[in-house]
Amino acid sequence: MIWPAFKLSLLVVSLATLLISVVGTAFGFVLAKRQFRAKELLDAFLTLPMVLPPTVTGYYLILLLGRRGLLGRYLYAITGWTLAFTWEAAVVAASVMALPIMVKSARAALESVDARYETVSFSLGKGEVETFFRVTLPLAFRGIMAGIVLSFARALGEFGATLMLAGNIPGKTQTMPLAIFEAFISGEDKQAQTLALILTFTSIVTIYFTNVLTRPPKST
Amino acid sequence: MLDAKIKKEFKTNGRVTFALDVSFVVREGVTVLFGPSGSGKTTILRSIAGIVTPDVGKIELDERVYFDSATGTNLPIQRRRVGFVFQDYLLFPHLTAVQNVAYAIGSATSKGRRDRAIELLDLLGIAYASDRRPQQLSGGEQQRVALARALGSDPAILLLDEPLSALDSATRQRLLGEIVDLQRKSRIPFLYITHSPADAVRAGDCALILNAGRIVQEGKPAEVFNAPRDSAVSRAVGSENILAGRVKDHNEREGISVIDLAGCELVIPYNALPKSTPVTIGIRSDDIVVSRERIGQTSARNLLEGTINQVVQDGQQADLLTACGVYLKVRVTAQALNALDLRPGVKVYLLIKASSCHLLS
Repeated sequence: MIWPAFKLSLLVVSLATLLISVVGTAFGFVLAKRQFRAKELLDAFLTLPMVLPPTVTGYYLILLLGRRGLLGRYLYAITGWTLAFTWEAAVVAASVMALPIMVKSARAALESVDARYETVSFSLGKGEVETFFRVTLPLAFRGIMAGIVLSFARALGEFGATLMLAGNIPGKTQTMPLAIFEAFISGEDKQAQTLALILTFTSIVTIYFTNVLTRPPKST
Repeated sequence: MLDAKIKKEFKTNGRVTFALDVSFVVREGVTVLFGPSGSGKTTILRSIAGIVTPDVGKIELDERVYFDSATGTNLPIQRRRVGFVFQDYLLFPHLTAVQNVAYAIGSATSKGRRDRAIELLDLLGIAYASDRRPQQLSGGEQQRVALARALGSDPAILLLDEPLSALDSATRQRLLGEIVDLQRKSRIPFLYITHSPADAVRAGDCALILNAGRIVQEGKPAEVFNAPRDSAVSRAVGSENILAGRVKDHNEREGISVIDLAGCELVIPYNALPKSTPVTIGIRSDDIVVSRERIGQTSARNLLEGTINQVVQDGQQADLLTACGVYLKVRVTAQALNALDLRPGVKVYLLIKASSCHLLS
């Protein structure tokens, strides 16, 4: 029970973190560097999973992606496949739940980059994309890394939305937090303890690295 | 050649708080933009760079249209080929000096970029710091790297927004001379914002004086600063005459130095500068005494003969714009103006004490 849950968690969280890093940074960039009317509305929408009860987010995801869901019905009609109760659903749930923390971190990190560095880069003939990858991103790197580490931790601990969308199928969609829950209610204290210890240890390492990354660089 | 016509209004809550309306031509050389804070200098630079968009106008550099409100042309900043140098340098902190400069260079190979970057750093005398990061460089060194970087992109014009104002006086003097040299070598127009009349006179081939969003006078800096056309210009440039010259002679025992101003000579308090050092001298317009006749025996070490070109009256005071080999403005009271019958065309003698001549650089 421990080993499959551990492997699945690792797979789900890795994919989710990868996805969040890219999507979250992109949203963070738009929110930090672009001016448009619905900006704060977009921010509020993206932050929603952070404040809603995870089960509510999970419920919305079913409404959206379930077999008869708003989008899910077309997916089912075309491919005959549905997301609900697959391991991919766990990836989606973890991604949606951890996205707000990434967007917030990326926005703050990118906003802290003095826009005049970008102006200098433009004046040197560099385009938006080159400027982003060679100036903005390196200057926001620590904050973005911190966001990735925190999102990783958030995705690892994801429970409620995963349970709603992916279910709790041992060996298929049962991630570590779900395995702890099941071990606990079926009285297998030893397993629950081991899993809890693994997650606690991971969290401590995560916090440690976040702190290291967000510490201001030593002045020379 | 830069040809710019720029109109832009800035509004706060629908009310126009500042309106810029200028039209000027910049030829090769260093053109100084001078004026009080909020007179529109930086907006002009930003419009040329493409950072702000004018409401109406046309900006052309060497026949290339950067902006034209009539045809809707507005080249993005990336395609304008403008070098921009800021007061706080803005070197990329995650790159070394040489990487900062190489970033700007369009050459194909990384070796080609690095070689050219070293060459430019060498031109600015800062090649020794190639591998240092901006945090490890002094302000003067950072600004040298920033200049090298701006030149790295092979700009068609260099825009300098108070590049020296964060530096100490000695570094500032040295770097100012180097900026002028750089212009002579690169042969592109430099547009230079400064708050220092001394820097303007020393570095500028031409000066544009701005006040409240308009150009109030333009011309050679020595003329513009020492012969302000009206009281608005006079207030913008201040009450000091700024003269550029070279050290000609010293007499240490008698405590004087002689400065050649290319037009006349000036006796100032002794300094130890080597002969032919370029210097800038400041003389406050109210420290100059005017006489209608030649006075023989006075303690004033300078007696200059000249003619009044223009009288600019501002309330109870007036500036006499006199030509005496160089231009000098002389502040007198309305009473003196009448009593001595001072008007254009009148021949006058100017008495200036050596100690009223301040060495500005």
